Amino acid sequence: MEKVKKTKIKKKEAGFGTLFKKGSSQVHMSMVIMGAGQFRYGAYAKGVMFFLLEAASIWYFISRGFKDLQGFFTLGEIKGDAWLGVAGDNSVIMLLMGILAWIILAAFIYLYRLNVRDAWLMQQRVEQGKTVRSFREEALQLLDKKFYITVLVLPVVGVCVFNILPIVFMVLIAFTNYGGNIVPPELVDWVGFANFGKLMTLAQFAPTFFRILGWNLLWAVLSTALNYFAGLGLALLLDKKCVKGKVVWRAFPVLAYAIPGFITLLAFKFMFSYGGPINQMITAAGGTAVGFLDLDAKWSARLIGLLVNCWISTPSIMLLATGILSNRDESLYEAARIDGATRFAQFRKLTLPFVLFSTMPVLISQFVGNFNNFGIFYFLRGGLYMDGYFLASDTDLLINWLYNLSIDNNYYSIGAAISLVIFLITSVLSLVVYMRSPSYREEDTFQ
Amino acid sequence: MKKHVAFLLGVALLAGSMTACSGGGGEDEPEQKAGSTGGSSVFTGDLEQNVTIRVLENDTAISKGYFAELIAAFNEAYADEGIVAVDANMDQYLDLANDGPYGYGPDVLYQANDVVMQYAEGKHIYPLPVEELECYDQIPEAAWAAYRTEVDGNTYYCGVPVNVQAPMLYYRKDLLPENWEEEWDADGNQVPDMIENWTDMYRFSIKRHEQDPSKYGYMKSLYDTYFSAGFLFTYGGYVFGDHNTNPEDIGFSAGEAEKGAQVLSQLAGVMNEECIDDTITSNCYSKLADGTYFATLTTPDVYSTFYDELVMAYEAEGMSSQEAKAAADENLIMTTVPALPESGDLTEADPVQIPSKTMGGINGYAISAYTKSPNACLAFVEFATGYDRIMKRYEMLGIAPAREDAALQAGGVSAELYERLENEDTVLMPSIKEVAQIWTPAQTFFTDLAKDAFRSEADKKYPNLSAMKSGLEQVDGQIHDAIFTLK
Amino acid sequence: MRNKIKWSRALDTGITYLLLMAVAFVFFFPCLWLILASFSKSGTIYSFQGFFPQEYSFASFQKLFMDTTMYNYPKWFLNTLFVAVGSCLLGTFLTILTAYTMSRFQFKMRKPIMKTTMVLGMFPSFMGMIAVYLLMTQFNLINHLWGLILIYAAGAPMGYLTQKGFFDTIPKAIDEAARIDGATNFQVFTKINLPLSKPIIVYTALTSFTWPWSDFILPKLLLKEKNLYTVAVGLMSLDETEFARFAAGSVFIAIPIVILYFFLVKYMVNGMAAGAVKG
Repeated sequence: MEKVKKTKIKKKEAGFGTLFKKGSSQVHMSMVIMGAGQFRYGAYAKGVMFFLLEAASIWYFISRGFKDLQGFFTLGEIKGDAWLGVAGDNSVIMLLMGILAWIILAAFIYLYRLNVRDAWLMQQRVEQGKTVRSFREEALQLLDKKFYITVLVLPVVGVCVFNILPIVFMVLIAFTNYGGNIVPPELVDWVGFANFGKLMTLAQFAPTFFRILGWNLLWAVLSTALNYFAGLGLALLLDKKCVKGKVVWRAFPVLAYAIPGFITLLAFKFMFSYGGPINQMITAAGGTAVGFLDLDAKWSARLIGLLVNCWISTPSIMLLATGILSNRDESLYEAARIDGATRFAQFRKLTLPFVLFSTMPVLISQFVGNFNNFGIFYFLRGGLYMDGYFLASDTDLLINWLYNLSIDNNYYSIGAAISLVIFLITSVLSLVVYMRSPSYREEDTFQ
Repeated sequence: MKKHVAFLLGVALLAGSMTACSGGGGEDEPEQKAGSTGGSSVFTGDLEQNVTIRVLENDTAISKGYFAELIAAFNEAYADEGIVAVDANMDQYLDLANDGPYGYGPDVLYQANDVVMQYAEGKHIYPLPVEELECYDQIPEAAWAAYRTEVDGNTYYCGVPVNVQAPMLYYRKDLLPENWEEEWDADGNQVPDMIENWTDMYRFSIKRHEQDPSKYGYMKSLYDTYFSAGFLFTYGGYVFGDHNTNPEDIGFSAGEAEKGAQVLSQLAGVMNEECIDDTITSNCYSKLADGTYFATLTTPDVYSTFYDELVMAYEAEGMSSQEAKAAADENLIMTTVPALPESGDLTEADPVQIPSKTMGGINGYAISAYTKSPNACLAFVEFATGYDRIMKRYEMLGIAPAREDAALQAGGVSAELYERLENEDTVLMPSIKEVAQIWTPAQTFFTDLAKDAFRSEADKKYPNLSAMKSGLEQVDGQIHDAIFTLK
Repeated sequence: MRNKIKWSRALDTGITYLLLMAVAFVFFFPCLWLILASFSKSGTIYSFQGFFPQEYSFASFQKLFMDTTMYNYPKWFLNTLFVAVGSCLLGTFLTILTAYTMSRFQFKMRKPIMKTTMVLGMFPSFMGMIAVYLLMTQFNLINHLWGLILIYAAGAPMGYLTQKGFFDTIPKAIDEAARIDGATNFQVFTKINLPLSKPIIVYTALTSFTWPWSDFILPKLLLKEKNLYTVAVGLMSLDETEFARFAAGSVFIAIPIVILYFFLVKYMVNGMAAGAVKG
């Protein structure tokens, strides 16, 4: 079924040159004024819409778009000075608005092509003797055949503006000298690959990077496995037939889920501190206080981090797994029971593949989330720089180190360069895993 | 909780935070009154009519009701011009550099000198025509110096000092031994010896803990650089060279600073493990109230928290609330820090005592460069730094005024703090932005030093002065790395 | 033989309950600690005997709701509720639609979009915050609660993979049968798939409600005025001596989520099990 659809999509699309040569006068009109061709074909509403879009775009580019595009390259020319009353340019804003202008330009070009192509399709329909689709028909199509377009417009726009734009911004920051002393009102400049060069040549950098990367990978694998199996195990445990009062049992982890993460972390930090209740009990029993999280406590701090993280993340995985388990095909289990399969065999052959399949994306996003888990060691054990580490401690993850470097120390451009490096490593890793996973390759396994 | 905000704020601060031009602090002698000072040309003296100015005060001033009174008085005085001051209603740890340019900052802000001066470097606040202010002659040069900056050969002042902040020793008089006048007042000056010098505080702490193992003498979390750095300064350490203006020269290990480290490590020895992390910082209020601790070191602005806890403790013991308040007034004492032995060894008998230095700050008002009505703001600052207002501030908040007349009138600790500022026993926090980089490396060292007191002999990392020296040198190195490696 | 099975059943049940009790303890104990701490009379955690306070009172809660000059908790709470409900509705709507589309439709950009979103999630988020802040200043959306809703809702579809995984397990055969009967894709979605997806909708709603409910960084960044604070930001701005109030505020903030859970749990567990057509 998938294949049929694919071939349908891969219908040959005419190039722009062909359109120019073979296009009717209406198509040519659309090339000059968006929507004009459509208008001539009688699709008035559509024509007006295209025209308005064009007018809006042109208004945008005249009023600020061209300036923004220019600003993207110059990053400002007049340095502001509040004391002298000079307003000046804000390089960072110029970069940001410049990126936005590029995105709008790309959207405009896309719309323009869509407009020409649309006119071309109308021409073809007319040539084939069909009538041009009415506005109503087209609108209805958006609820049916092209439903996905209707649905995806909003999310795509939202993600572009609030997720992709910021990321592009940070990636570009890696190629500027933004940070340190050079922040607005100072003017920021493009510096090419200088920041990456600096990273390569810095002697202190590499040892710390690899040491932290190693721990970071270990952490991500361990905590993901721990959280995932704890959550799944809990869901299965609560799913057992013999358990009465499931709603109540399930409420305990939900209680943990309901308390905001940073509060939990502060509470656990206190519990394990020298004055906390655990040490109080130890000293009351005649022992000496244990520094669970202090600066000598490398592995105990790491272990506590793992467990606390598990405490925080397990409930949500449990809830998800519960929802997914309820979607199991009961008839398969009945068949298995009739065939005399043991409960363990049922779990291994039916439950696990099913759950693994539908939670593979969760597993990956958990991995990513844990890899970039900023809060846990920031709250539990922040504010230490250890021997052998360059401005980091032995529990810090890459993201904490990044924070120390770029926020505590204001080196935004270096921070951006490092995050780009980390980003490349992690994204390649997880892409490979994801693309090999059955939930990506065989999406219809459980159909 | 608040501390985390301060840290996490980083995330919020981001973009334009901090500064433009580095360096630039005046390196001339502190005594020298600057030649060519001047405010920004925006201060024409013509008050803007019918404007609202947003003022950011600190939380204590708001919660104690001082701020409400201040703006009420100001609004009445300037009703004819139609100038209205309102609470900016923002977090006291704001980021002017990042919010101001977009119109989300306050017009007038009350902050510590290190914060204010970070904004000055980026020209986010206006230089003020301070000589025209009524308070100018009353405030000592040492306090003005905290707000001085030099740009293109001209000297500017970017804030108006209000009060002095420095670590203070808190203790309870009723926890002194009954016979302290005989045993603990060798010089017979009616001041207990352990309040006068650290040698006796150390001795007393040992004694108190021996008599009752659940009790302690002096207790303080040592990781906190703000409080621990003073011990290093006393023996020649400093933060940055050239009067805290040269970030190339980091001096935590300078002079004989390792002696200060030794004192800290000896003090850790008479505390318990809680001095390693932030436990004592948060439990000192209740532990001083229940008598577990005898003394601690913290800033003057938390006096009322100690006071309230102590009143509660007295009430729990059966006193009426009036008695409890009277007893707390009598027994809770806040004073300047004790002297240190010149040798840096608290176990030495009859040592030569030298006055100890502390880190400190000057809090004051500054005017945002993004305000639309600078002259009205200046009028507010002038009004709020007048003698009457400062006295009121002292009465309601117990601050140590930076104005000489107010400090003398207030007397007691306020006068002492004023004096320590003039004598440079209070070493002001650097007013350059690189100061942001000193905290974590120093904090790690102090934590390690405190932990060392509880390691077994064989595991000790700082068994002697030279180990401490090299530890401090490492701190200098780390700070240097943090400032310069990626520059 | 029968006996043996019975025995092993009983043993199994016993172990199950033991485990459940252990789990309940592990999760409940820290919460209990926080709850009791919020009722502590002394207002500080250091006067506790071991884990728990010696004396209890309602003073902290009274203070939390009555003493609002410095810390206006009731206002923060309403702000948070507004933001969380708004982002929950909008975010769930967008996420479910995105996930459904990505699961059901075949189009040119599908696999690239899947890969891109996968990768985008890997970027350290706080680095992008600088840009988000600057962007919001340009759109004049600082100090607006719905500015927050906008960002949360816009970011929500990025996490659609989980929901897509769920939709992938709903047989397409049902869809096709309906299509043959002449239903449009829109109808197939609303009339057939939506009712089958209750568990995942509830899960999505719950997570997109809790995220803004407990997030700290974004509101801190975008809300400058104290009376616009959300509870998380407000709690962090509490003075460090206000522990009991902090605990009380933290406990109270959990209540809506617990209520929401009890309200929604039944939809979560008997979605498909009720017996739909299976492929």
